[in-house]
Parts: sequence; structure tokens; C-alpha cells
Amino acid sequence: MAVAPVDETLTLADLTRDPYPIYRRMRAETPIVRVPAANRIFLTKAKHTKMVKEDPELYSSDDPVTPMQRAFQAHTLMRKDGVEHRRERMAMQPSFSPKVVKSDWSTLYTDIARDYLDRLPRGETVDLFTALCGPVAARILAHMLGLDEASDADMMRWSQILIDGAGNFGFDEEPFARSDAANAEMNALFDKLAPRHRAEPNNSAFSVMVNARDPIPTSQIYANIKIAIGGGINEPRDALATIVYGLLTNPEQLEEVRRQGAWLDAFEEGIRWVAPIQASSRRAVRDLQIDGIDIPEGVTLMTIQASANRDEELYEDGEAFNVFRKKVPHQAFGSGPHHCAGAHIARRTVGEIMLPMLFERFPDMSLERPEDVVWSGFGFRGPLNLPVRLN
Amino acid sequence: MVQITFVQPDGNRTTIDAAIGDSVMQTALANGVDGIFAECGGAMMCATCHCYVDEAWAGRTGKREDGEEDMLECAASEMRETSRLSCQLKVSQDIDGLVVHLPEEQA
Repeated sequence: MAVAPVDETLTLADLTRDPYPIYRRMRAETPIVRVPAANRIFLTKAKHTKMVKEDPELYSSDDPVTPMQRAFQAHTLMRKDGVEHRRERMAMQPSFSPKVVKSDWSTLYTDIARDYLDRLPRGETVDLFTALCGPVAARILAHMLGLDEASDADMMRWSQILIDGAGNFGFDEEPFARSDAANAEMNALFDKLAPRHRAEPNNSAFSVMVNARDPIPTSQIYANIKIAIGGGINEPRDALATIVYGLLTNPEQLEEVRRQGAWLDAFEEGIRWVAPIQASSRRAVRDLQIDGIDIPEGVTLMTIQASANRDEELYEDGEAFNVFRKKVPHQAFGSGPHHCAGAHIARRTVGEIMLPMLFERFPDMSLERPEDVVWSGFGFRGPLNLPVRLN
Repeated sequence: MVQITFVQPDGNRTTIDAAIGDSVMQTALANGVDGIFAECGGAMMCATCHCYVDEAWAGRTGKREDGEEDMLECAASEMRETSRLSCQLKVSQDIDGLVVHLPEEQA
């Protein structure tokens, strides 16, 4: 029996700037630690994060005080457990399945990727993050969800506003005012599109959900499309930017990836190295213990998959980007019932379509000043810019 | 202990001593069998522990669980009559000698 040690001085700003040295220290000294600045107990070891996420009966996703509910104007599947969660999740899962990826999305996404690559100038330095990573992720997601009419700019704006609202732990008015306005815009678009998806059934998530034999309520269909908007742009965007950075700063690895066509390995290593979603929350449903540390009922645990993915117990030299490291499963897609529903489609779109096409189009592209790339984020993390000379 | 044999797509076979009460998926992971990813850890949410039960064992491993079939339809390799999520196959005396075939793709 022991109370978790407390890290009184750590701030969210420290974690947002560069959490990795902090997590490394925590893994070595205080792997289970209370962080008052986040009002949570952090779990930084792979075995603990995995165990907690795989045991929803003891560690619930249902957080009664989450700002997410207010931001999405709904109790979403991200914060549900058990059969209720399964029912909502399976309502849209067919759209993300390998079968539909093959039948519908592969060709379309290859065309979209080509189209967005065509827009890039050659021989200039371009911020790939804003010119490619974000917009292409937005366009791909719009089609997957059945929101073809939404512009890239709207998709990206809604996504960021929902994320900001869901992360508004101080419950400030302003982010919620913006999420309310965005919800109104999205609801209006969904109302407009629903008749088309009913009349012309297709494999988009919207259509699959409204045309199901036993559909979930409309309010939940809308809420879950919003979850996909909030959670389906920044991850592939940040994954792509992170991997491009990793390859361009490790040219010998890039050369070998090219030679072997090991783009999927590059994908897996990129998201292990800097997981686009770095941390998740779970609530202890009763008094528990993890490795001898008391976890009181009701406490919110933060499973830090960013840290788990560099855990010395699993990875040799885990701080380094190394596509050709010994294969060990990572937790970038999480684990347990909330394992990323988009894992398969992310591998196909980023790993098999975007990466090889980008490096084929600009075989000599270079990141002249890697030190100019700004990394940021505690809950979500990735580069904020990627100034690459395209050649 | 009972024996379970995993057959790779290339025909390579590995026979493992499995502990009663574990799942076939856990048995594979604990023994480093290639071709079972089990990314969701047994929550029936990912279909990366897909396997085909050997024809000789058809009908002897029980029925698919509720929700298993929906997830199998999302598997990377084709779903067949013999498809199961290995996280839902419990090791018991009844399946001593079970042979499962691993699919070409899991993710």
C-alpha cells in the first residue's frame, strides 16, 4: 500500500513543449505519478497503460465531468463502455473495413493524393504540413464519412474547434461558444445530406449508419460523425508529417525504405516514435492498486501511450526513430475496446498511398533546417510546420 | 496443458503447449507465434487475431460469440466458414490438438 508520488512542479506547458525527457524520467523514477497540473495520475509504463485500457470493467471510459460532452453536445462513443459502446462503434465500422477500403477508398484516395501532389510547386520550399498533410487528411476523411460537400477548410476548422472544446478542462466560455457554432454548422450540413444518403446508399459512414437495419438514434449518428471529424484529421496529418520528418532527417533509413518498399514499416515506426494521440483518460470504478500504488475510486488515470511506446522494457533506444528496429507492438492505436477504429484505414492511406507517392513525386526533397520544425502537444502531438524543399 | 498447432500461410507449423483457460490468441502471443497481432488485446474490436479453424475441427470449437461475426467481416483477409477471432477461442481439454491456420494478412 502506497500513495502515488506527486509531481508538484510539472506544468501542462512543459508537457506540451517536450514531454519525452519528462516521461523518460518518470519511467525510471516514478512510473505511476500524480500530476496536479493535469488533475490525474499518470501511467507511463507500457504494461500499465495496456492493462488499464484492456480492463474497461475496472477502468471506465465514462468520465462524468468530461468537457467532451459539452463540446460535442452529446455523450459520444469515446466515453461509453460495454454493449452501448460496441453498438455505436459497429454502426460505422464497415466503412473503415479492409473490404470497403479495397472496393471504394483505395482508388479514390490514390486519385485524391495525386491531385493534392499536383498542386505542389517544384523547386521551392513549401510547408508540407499546411500545404499537404492537413488538406489531404481532411479530403480523405470527408469522403469516408459521406461529407463530400464539406470543404477542406471547414473540415479542418471543425476538427480543431471540437478538439479545443474537448480539451477545455477549465470550462471556459469561449471555446464552447465556438464549438456550439461549429455544431450548428455541422448539424445543418448533416440534415441536408441525410436524404441523399438514404436515397443513394453507399459505403460512407453516414450512409452505412442511416441505412442500417436497426439504426442508432440520429443524435448519436451525428455525434459519432463529429467524433470522426474531431479524431480523423489530426492523426493522419500528424502521422504523415512525423514520418516525413523522421525519414528526411535519417536519409540512410529513407534510402533503405525506398529500396525495400518498407513504407508500412516507416509508418509504424513514425507513430510509435511520436504517437499522434499521446494520452487517454480512464476512471477507476473502485479503489484499486497498480503495482502496489493506491488508485482511489473515481480518480482519473492518464494512460500515456507516448511514453509506453518508448518504454525501455520493450524498446532498445526507443527515443530514436529507427524504421528497422526489432518489431515490437506499439500502443499508438491504443488497446482494448477503444482500439482505434481507423487503424487499418490509416495504414492503407498514409503508409501505402501517401508516403510512397510523395517520395516518388519528389525524390530529392529535403528538410534543410530541421531545427525550424516546431513540435507541440500533450494530448495530441506532432510538428506544427514542415518546411521542405520539393525536388 | 493441451497442444495447439498454428499453421502459417506458407505451411510452416508450430505446436505449442497451451494453458487451460487462456485464449488461443494469448497462447500465440505468449509464445511469439507470428501472424497474430491482437491489437485490441482481446476486446473483439480489431480483427487482427483472425484465424481459420482447421476443417477437421469444424464444429468442435463452439459458436462465434455475439459481435464476433461483425468484426470478422472487417478482417483484412477474407472471412470463411471456419473464421474465428482467436481471442474468443478458449483453451480447454476439449480442444487438445486443435489446428488453426493463420491468414495472409492481419492488418
